[in-house]
Amino acid sequence: MFVTKAMTRKVVTVRPEDNLLDTRALMKSHKIHHIPVVEEGNKLVGIISDRDVRSAMPSTLYYESGSERERVKLEKFKVRDVMTKNVITLSLRDTVQDALLLLLKYDIGGLPVVDGDGRLVGILAVRDLLRALVSVLGIGQPGSLLCLLVDDKLGETKKIVDIVFEEKIPIGSILVARHWEPGKRAVFPYLMSINVGSLKRKFQEKGYTILDPEEWYLEDVERTKEERVP
Amino acid sequence: MRRTGFLYDERYLLHRTGSGHPECPERLTAIFAGIASSGLLEKVRRITAHRPDLAWIEAVHPRDYIERLEQACLNGETEFHGPDNQMCRATFQVALLAAGGILDTLDLIMSGELDNAFCAVRPPGHHAEPMYAMGFCYFNNIAIAARYLQKRWGIGKVAIVDIDVHHGNGTQLIFEADQTVFYYSIHEHPTFAFPGTGREFEIGRDKGLGYTKNSIVVPGQGDEIYRFLLERDLVPALEMFRPEVILVSTGFDAHADDDMADLKLTTEGYAWVMRKIRELADRFCGGKLVSILEGGYCLERLPELGRDHVAILLGD
Ligand SMILES: [Zn+2]
Repeated sequence: MFVTKAMTRKVVTVRPEDNLLDTRALMKSHKIHHIPVVEEGNKLVGIISDRDVRSAMPSTLYYESGSERERVKLEKFKVRDVMTKNVITLSLRDTVQDALLLLLKYDIGGLPVVDGDGRLVGILAVRDLLRALVSVLGIGQPGSLLCLLVDDKLGETKKIVDIVFEEKIPIGSILVARHWEPGKRAVFPYLMSINVGSLKRKFQEKGYTILDPEEWYLEDVERTKEERVP
Repeated sequence: MRRTGFLYDERYLLHRTGSGHPECPERLTAIFAGIASSGLLEKVRRITAHRPDLAWIEAVHPRDYIERLEQACLNGETEFHGPDNQMCRATFQVALLAAGGILDTLDLIMSGELDNAFCAVRPPGHHAEPMYAMGFCYFNNIAIAARYLQKRWGIGKVAIVDIDVHHGNGTQLIFEADQTVFYYSIHEHPTFAFPGTGREFEIGRDKGLGYTKNSIVVPGQGDEIYRFLLERDLVPALEMFRPEVILVSTGFDAHADDDMADLKLTTEGYAWVMRKIRELADRFCGGKLVSILEGGYCLERLPELGRDHVAILLGD
């Protein structure tokens, strides 16, 4: 799926010459942590985060939150003084998959989407990706999840889909993952039905192993060093 | 011994779902056989169904939905809102009789003629949403019952305890913003089992915030975890809510031998659960308890499950 289908099109933006007081108010009222910075013609020139705004305040003790001193100081600072200029962006040809990998790589909360001329057309936040994931998994719709163990051979998933089709059960989504057992794959069909008893029996009759959910996990989700449990 | 009602009407067998469909008439005859063969039929008050005033169905389902279901039946269609919900020309009438029989039963309870009752009805109801048939369900019987208690009999607070292995999405949806009906459900983890709702963080909304409670059972678990969760979640919920009547969505599909889901409740486990609910009805509602059949598809186990269920209502 292309990011243009999942992104938010109505983007709150600021200008480089806007002051930090207004920018902070905008973040608060829209409950957002990042705002793209645009110039004439909606050209993206930076992004400003609530962290950037805070960095303009050298001492939180001296400039007590909500004080007149703080207000004056924030009003004096411009967006251009603290914004990030080298923005990581998505293009119109990037996909949700690209966005997932980028967010994982850079540990950021949102990606502006720009067209070929560098004009801002949308923003893809983690929330938009979560929505896309719920939709892809089909879990917003009623259904039952099965997990079958199959040989890691061409055509095995097709056989499973065929059996489900014979039982006239609509498939919401189907996920295929590597399994810890060599030469095996785990197939997770999400079925849009309550009526899975006879289907399970049929799979067993045909020699498939229905995995105990206790044994399910995704084997090779990459983790950074810090995330990895020792 | 308590005065227990048993709603069973042979017309409930006329809702045909086609060969191989698990929600079949044999489910009811199996339950009936279990109760009859253990001599319990003589100890209960038999109840048969009347067609209800449509106004009571409309307390839950918009007229538009009711009419479309009726029209689909008249047209001879074989499914409604998806292939799970197989039906025949009689389905609409049978679904009405299921709700109607339950309302008749409630009258006998509220007028003091009976203490409690088991309503062995088909089709089931707890997946049905106001505008949507789902999971073999057309009318949400238990929701109609709760509204009837409130509107016809002036009951303030009704608790619904749903022990079907699946989450009663329809019932939860109908009452999620309502603080006069407490919905409690214990079911298989929604990531694995139909319909995928009933997560622990679903706790009601607006005025009904805190009046919905879901207990989650991981696939493979059974008696022990049911005991733990009912004590931990259901008992304090009802202590807080203090219902005047308890309605039970009784599904026998959490049984270990039922292959519609993956839980391992035993026949003894079911008996323990029902005794616990009876005890709570004694504590809060003067024993007023009406159990309404939902799922349960293992034809070999249904006789003993139905028999124990009625025996416990009678005071066993
Ligand atoms: Zn069920």
